[in-house]
Amino acid sequence: MAYKLVEIELSKPLVAIELTLEQSGVGLIARWHDQLIGFEMIAVPSGSTLSVEELRILADQRFAARVHVAMVEDELASSMPAGTVLRSLSIAICTKDRPQRLSRLLTSLEAVRRNSAFGSVEIVVVDNASTNPATREAVERFDGVRYVFEPKAGLDFARNAALHAATGELITYLDDDVVVDRNWLAGLAKACRDNPGAGGFTGLVLPYRLDTEAQIYFERRGGFGRGFYRNEFRNARFDNPLHPVGAGVLGAGCNMAFHRKMLISLGGFDEALDTGAPLPGGGDLDIFYRVLRSGRAMIYEPQFAVYHEHRETIAQLRRQYWSWGLGMMAFLVKSSRSDHELRSRHGAMVRWWFVDQARALLRAVRGLRGRDVHFGVAEMWGGIRGLAGEYDRSRSRVQAIRELNQ
Amino acid sequence: MTVHALPVRHIDLSTIRTDTHPGDAAAFSIFWWKDLPLGMRASLPDELPFGEAQLRQFAAEYGAAQLAARSQALGAPLRATFEGRPKQALTLARLLGAGNLVGELDRLAGAPAKSAQDISVVICTRDRREALAECLRSVTKQRYAPGEIIVVDNSSDGSAEPICRRFLEVRHLHERRPGLSLARNAGIRASGGEIIAFTDDDVELHPNWTAEVVRAFSDQSIDALTGLVLPARLDTAAQRIFQLDMGGFGTSFIPLRFDRRFLEETRPYGAHVWKIGAGANMAFRRKLFERIGLFDERLGAGAAGCSEDSEFWYRMLADGRVCLYEPRAVVFHHHRRELPELRQQIRSYMRGHVAALVVQYDEFGDRGNLVRIFKQLPLYFLKSFLKGLLEGRRGRPGTLTAEIVGWTAGLQFLFRSSWRRQRAPQFSTGRGSP
Repeated sequence: MAYKLVEIELSKPLVAIELTLEQSGVGLIARWHDQLIGFEMIAVPSGSTLSVEELRILADQRFAARVHVAMVEDELASSMPAGTVLRSLSIAICTKDRPQRLSRLLTSLEAVRRNSAFGSVEIVVVDNASTNPATREAVERFDGVRYVFEPKAGLDFARNAALHAATGELITYLDDDVVVDRNWLAGLAKACRDNPGAGGFTGLVLPYRLDTEAQIYFERRGGFGRGFYRNEFRNARFDNPLHPVGAGVLGAGCNMAFHRKMLISLGGFDEALDTGAPLPGGGDLDIFYRVLRSGRAMIYEPQFAVYHEHRETIAQLRRQYWSWGLGMMAFLVKSSRSDHELRSRHGAMVRWWFVDQARALLRAVRGLRGRDVHFGVAEMWGGIRGLAGEYDRSRSRVQAIRELNQ
Repeated sequence: MTVHALPVRHIDLSTIRTDTHPGDAAAFSIFWWKDLPLGMRASLPDELPFGEAQLRQFAAEYGAAQLAARSQALGAPLRATFEGRPKQALTLARLLGAGNLVGELDRLAGAPAKSAQDISVVICTRDRREALAECLRSVTKQRYAPGEIIVVDNSSDGSAEPICRRFLEVRHLHERRPGLSLARNAGIRASGGEIIAFTDDDVELHPNWTAEVVRAFSDQSIDALTGLVLPARLDTAAQRIFQLDMGGFGTSFIPLRFDRRFLEETRPYGAHVWKIGAGANMAFRRKLFERIGLFDERLGAGAAGCSEDSEFWYRMLADGRVCLYEPRAVVFHHHRRELPELRQQIRSYMRGHVAALVVQYDEFGDRGNLVRIFKQLPLYFLKSFLKGLLEGRRGRPGTLTAEIVGWTAGLQFLFRSSWRRQRAPQFSTGRGSP
């Protein structure tokens, strides 16, 4: 069972897609004049062909409306004056014992960093307490990539190390399990130019491959997808009284960028979140939330896109859902302590989250969808654990790590 | 976050690049492309001012929606779905052939240059002198003056007369028998135009209104027209609840054709004819009244409550006539300012709605009308109640109760057999109708 990932360029004649016997579906990545405008998963009998006619009908139904908006927007943008000169950029990659994936990412960056619209681009790899020298050796094979070693194990230790080692005005964070799209940097440049006051940016996350049941399942359930329309987030929303507490809608931590000085003045990432093994989540929610609370906007830009290698096995995926619940609640516990003004919203968010999870679980039980029940229980259990003092346990663990490395 | 006032502002996206809102207060923004209305949204102070990129995105998304609905090259005009939403007709092949979309948008937004002398504007009023004066001011300031303006005064003492005398072109007609349908029918009988356009006394017209009505009726396949009703002000809680929580008088900016198929598709469940439009902004060919009769005088404000308009849509669609919803024809409605007034209005809306369902059932025998009274409406009440419990919504104080009380009051019409035997009056002008 695997889905074939195919890119289609809608401004050119469509070409039929043939599947092998091992492939049971297609993940269509649609572009319009190279601009990403849609993603669809289609189940197809294995070994069959998706004809040009079928593709055409699909494109009309799923992509035409978005293409239309892109066409109008392009016309409107062409009458705008050219933007300002862009600042310097640091690309930070935090990694631990995954030299192959790191090399894959660095290779994809090689292509995009040439001819960028930024004044200068540096790449900083933070080796987060890898147990062997393979990571350092992988970095050395690439030109112009800085290597920083962070002995304190924990993703947010590494992110903060990158924050201080970097020199760019803007810093963008990538996880080591992604590969950047060919327009990734151009997308970020566009977002920066269009939104001079914004404090941070998030982008589209597409699947890198859909080869296993777990990967297909995860992407079908929504994956990290946040859609193909630009979105702007500020400190409040008329249509959502809980905003900005539900900061997950902003994007994902595997692909995000910030003004570096602003991030430093906010105190960087919370090292007790996103620590790896016991509490592997919540750090991105926390930083998005704090940027919005500081009064700066966050922009979601779909052209600022990466491809993420989803969890391979069902057991790993189950753990991911569990960690989402855990990270979400750890973030809410922390925020309600540190941000008294919005305390009632944090409480309301906890209630809403559990009611929403319970409803989804009930639907899954009623529909006899065993896998949904399995993952739903995992996420809910993570949430309960997260609420029951996980943030404090994590803080003391992190303190121990700090003391150990002094 | 509670909002104390929501000033309504208008933004022309064809010219404005930078939003100058100081960001110190909430706002309700209505977006336009020249005179073409595009969309609206409420924003908190933190969401303002809109950035340049945000404005451009609004322009692109709203503009694309208008083009898809109006440009024949892209598949327009659109038919209405079951839910009263547009059925998309856009295809990639059509887009590949399209160019200069912004130019096309400019063309679509261009003002129609037509005489409006064929139109009789009829305004029914009852004891609302100040509002009526505002309304008449907007009617007399139309870019293209209508052939005649008739005010049907439904007050007992003819109190609107001194107001009407201020405007030379306005005819005052006193209809003593109370009831909006009676007043409307009196206006129709007194009018002489080929097109009879209605608005209410609590409404102000966009200066292009008559021109847009004429433009819409230049399509001979159209028998009736409804248009967009925007909020004039959102100063009070009652006004905001009506507009934002209850959807006001409709929120769609996409033109739609409502025809017999729309009725047939929705008939088994109680046709959603009220989605076609509102009496504050509607127009008809005179011939249509000659063919299917006038407004049902059992319905409407002053009688059962309201829905004389939607019962008329039901009758005309059943007869195979076509109604166009054209949001380019814009009016601004002054919603009720105080909560007790709003509750009173909601009660009478729901009572009138049930009455209209009974009338429709008697006339056409469609069981869907009863399904709506006894199944869908109670279900809707239950869902609203549960939703309110879960979300702890303080936004709708008593409006759900008002709806339920109105529904209960409406049930009486089921048991009034002489009431149920009546029918809408016929219309003959003696002008050689077919």
